[in-house]
Amino acid sequence: MASRVLHQCVRSLGRPSLRLLSTNLAVRVAPVSAAAALRPLSFTAASRKTRWLGQSSISSGVLCRQYSDLPPLTLDTIKDRVMYVLKLYDKINPEKLQTSSHFMKDLGLDSLDQVEIIMAMEDEFGFEIPDAEAEKLMTPSEIVNYIADKKDVYE
Amino acid sequence: MMAAPSRAQVISLYKMLLRESYNFPSYNYRTYAVRRVRDAFRVNKDVADPNTVERLVLEGRQSLALIQRQVVVGSMFQAQKTAVE
Repeated sequence: MASRVLHQCVRSLGRPSLRLLSTNLAVRVAPVSAAAALRPLSFTAASRKTRWLGQSSISSGVLCRQYSDLPPLTLDTIKDRVMYVLKLYDKINPEKLQTSSHFMKDLGLDSLDQVEIIMAMEDEFGFEIPDAEAEKLMTPSEIVNYIADKKDVYE
Repeated sequence: MMAAPSRAQVISLYKMLLRESYNFPSYNYRTYAVRRVRDAFRVNKDVADPNTVERLVLEGRQSLALIQRQVVVGSMFQAQKTAVE
């Protein structure tokens, strides 16, 4: 009987999907196999059950899938993210930056910088802004309003 | 002869060139391409002559095709990442 249990253990260890679990499983199977020795026919079922338990205990730790989403957008979070992106842009002086400051008149940028800012916003919020509408966005608050409009965010 | 490219066309070319440049898998090529695109547009920002603008835009389109080609080639031959990445 003992040799049969051992054989079963070795076989289950050899399976590729259990390589990571191998030592863990060997320890787990040992007590079960003692009980299963009384009921030899149910042994395979019992060992399979422990294997599932072993896997689920691992997957709930590290490999667990978290079906989560980003926190919902509000006008404030959009504004914070827009200002954060703008502060990181190297040609903008963070101290001069206001939500109402005009990119060209107040911050001294040119139209090419404005294109780059819009590209940074597209990357930040994950959607494309058409050129025709992008060229009208000249202040941070206009960008915030545009994004809120497109993402269906209202007060 | 074609009419001189409009401002919107130039802007969209600039955007496409930058977008494509960001796709370079290699850090060195990526930063060079982005810097080169920015500098080239800044150098020629005051050009008013329609013929010159047209020639430059044509040049830009050829560079865009070149960048697209090189991005594909670059992703086929991934090199080891450098320390800055």
